[in-house]
Amino acid sequence: MSDHALSSAPGSARARIPSVPGVAVALVGLSVLFAVASPGFLTAGNLSNILVQSVILLLLALPMTLIIMTEGLDLSMGAVLTLASLVLALIVVATQSLMLGLAGALCVGLAFGLTNGWLVASLGIPPFVATLGTLGAAQGLALIVSDGQSVVGIPRFVRLVYSGEVAGIPNPILIGAGFYALFHVLLYHTRFGTYICALGGNREALTLAGVKWKRLLISVYMLGGAMAGVAALLMTARMNAGHPTAAIGMEFDAIAAVALGGTSFEKGNGWIFGTLMGVLTVGVLRNGLNLMAVPSSVQVACIGVLVIFALFLDGMRSKKS
Amino acid sequence: MRAVMATTPRLELAAPPAVPGTPILELKGISKTFPGVKALDDVSFAVWPGEVHMLLGENGAGKSSLMKVLCGAYQADAGEYFHNGEKVEIRSPADARRFGIAVIFQEFSLVPYLDVAQNIFLGREFPSRIPGLLDRRRLYREAQKVLDLIGLEVDPRTKVHQLGVAQQQMVEIGKALSQDARILVMDEPTAALSDRETERLFEVMRQLQAKGVALVYISHRMAEVFALGDRITVLRDGKLVGRALPGETSPDELVRMMVGRNVDMSYPRRFATEPGEVVLETKGLSSSNGIRDIDLKVRAGEIVGLCGLVGSGRTEVARAIFGADAVTAGEVRIFGKQRTGGPDAAAFAGVGLIPESRKAEGLALIRTVSDNLAVAGLPKLFPNMMFSPGKARRSAQELIQRLRIATPSPNQSVAVLSGGNQQKVVIGKWLAAGTRLFIFDEPTRGIDVGAKSEIFALIDQLVAEGAAVLMISSEQAEIVHVCDRAYVMRGKRIVGELGRADLSEENIVRMGMHDE
Repeated sequence: MSDHALSSAPGSARARIPSVPGVAVALVGLSVLFAVASPGFLTAGNLSNILVQSVILLLLALPMTLIIMTEGLDLSMGAVLTLASLVLALIVVATQSLMLGLAGALCVGLAFGLTNGWLVASLGIPPFVATLGTLGAAQGLALIVSDGQSVVGIPRFVRLVYSGEVAGIPNPILIGAGFYALFHVLLYHTRFGTYICALGGNREALTLAGVKWKRLLISVYMLGGAMAGVAALLMTARMNAGHPTAAIGMEFDAIAAVALGGTSFEKGNGWIFGTLMGVLTVGVLRNGLNLMAVPSSVQVACIGVLVIFALFLDGMRSKKS
Repeated sequence: MRAVMATTPRLELAAPPAVPGTPILELKGISKTFPGVKALDDVSFAVWPGEVHMLLGENGAGKSSLMKVLCGAYQADAGEYFHNGEKVEIRSPADARRFGIAVIFQEFSLVPYLDVAQNIFLGREFPSRIPGLLDRRRLYREAQKVLDLIGLEVDPRTKVHQLGVAQQQMVEIGKALSQDARILVMDEPTAALSDRETERLFEVMRQLQAKGVALVYISHRMAEVFALGDRITVLRDGKLVGRALPGETSPDELVRMMVGRNVDMSYPRRFATEPGEVVLETKGLSSSNGIRDIDLKVRAGEIVGLCGLVGSGRTEVARAIFGADAVTAGEVRIFGKQRTGGPDAAAFAGVGLIPESRKAEGLALIRTVSDNLAVAGLPKLFPNMMFSPGKARRSAQELIQRLRIATPSPNQSVAVLSGGNQQKVVIGKWLAAGTRLFIFDEPTRGIDVGAKSEIFALIDQLVAEGAAVLMISSEQAEIVHVCDRAYVMRGKRIVGELGRADLSEENIVRMGMHDE
């Protein structure tokens, strides 16, 4: 049996780390590249900037990891984030209450998550198609509620959510770190996390174990919607406005970050730390290219190339083992 | 595999009580119907504490359905359950678990990217003192106990996908054992195990028996039936056909009970008298998919059967011949020439594979009858790479008439055709390609009785016109009915050849099982 012996260190999260994943190569490689190419890259201010700017993407990529682990997908996240951000802005401007605004954004997110989950789990519509449909719905609603205009006049206390800091650490970093820890615990230390793995790996096993997996699958999509609501708060605070096209296409970056991080689209093989590295890689790439004044359209292409490169590395490695 | 046979450990099992008391579980008059199939028909079944109850039957006899009814995965349409003499309901896997029923499935119910411990306790996680979280230390401690019990030496933190098949089977066994089952159902648990693991499993079974656990054991190995069984139940076509005690029956009698399925085939075959040239020959063929040392021959004008139990390697032989799996030793000769390259080369050389899953592998469901009929013959119909719709349609119309495919038009989508007509489209597709050697994998699966004899008539017509046919079937009666000769497989090898005179269901089953 020794041929199946593992190099894993018992009891640590390290047991899940494959030997030098492609995303780590990409992250370190890009950082070195930009540090050499651009003098402004390796400064404390810029590094902190990368972290702060990565948080919104992280908030989407964390639930996206879980959704992809169930062999699912959520294409509606960017559009739902946009709609939630508009709803939040409208409520806050009208009522001057951050709590009411956040509640509104969360409701929008949960409603879309519930719809996505119901379409996928109960009606059996393929996730790609189901969430493509809700993407359209959310985008349309965003234009309707805003009348195509930006919502301005966001109060200062909302802006402080993004620009403020506690003990010298910017708020977004604290929020990102908090949610990262939450998702880590959720995936590796709760029943819910175990079942997410099984949802993608072997649904029959869950049925035979007496687990009602449809509700579970719906709640995974609802978690995605709720996180889009949380991200909407940061997005509104950052832009100081609600904008009807604010986060269009952000699901692409989120899926790219998850795929970069080594989460597979099959069999419930996922890795939450990999997603964090994937998000940072996308952040580093965008930041570095900005410093080098590369246009945004070219940046999107670069992310695509990077994803293919990282998956190629992972594919090579899994073939070898 | 014969060597494995010889070393199958014989056990000194405690004798069951001469007059057993109340059965721990009794099913009465269980029926279960799926669209078009009566999977279980008025089956009654009882198991007593501390005994090993052997469940026998051919492929498709209803053993697996009965097992799924037992564990609550299927709900019976009719019938009653009694637990220790009391009438109960089993409507879900949770109900079954409450009565102490655990099942070791043959097709794995493991989650590949969870570790061994998480799989063993899936659905029964240990909560920690902090609400909502899991007690991981306890999980691994309990899992280690289970692994020690079954003698599996792996780290409980190993992800299941990293284990070999035998180890996965042992995890599956551990998972069932950890449920403190009073009734343990096992579906061919030794199929994937080595001798050492088999021995270990039998030892665990003996311990469980001593504790009064009732064991239901599905097996295809005659030696196990007699070495382990205290009681034997035989199923056929979803019906209970016999009960026996091992001391009062013989392997021959059990085989006779298992065979004799009713196959209504009105079409009489004209058997070949003078087979033609050798169309297909394999010598010492081994493939990346596990088959070893396959020697077989198929001549023009002949229908040759390839039988054996599910998993004995029949489909793998077809794949190797067709070039879908890599040949690791030996050779495949088609019309005397060694086959090289992949399926495209095989198709060009005149080999057509009619796969088991028509819908997944044989047809493009959303395309039209005409498109499907043309797809394999493209290189032959259109040698200069230019597609001509008119020519494709004419070719399709000719085939529709010749094969009597019931379709309103060549432009009908194949998805709406009946199973029998879909099968004809797959055959027609290869006819258009000029195929001379047809390999059929379960040609009548999911086809109703009337269409079956039509398919056989078609196959007979093919060989009458000089084609050669290799036919894989789990329906022994069909093999006996239509084949000129048959090869019997077991454990990825050919273990015997039966000529027309010896071709009987008894002989096929006897060769396919571990019966001396």
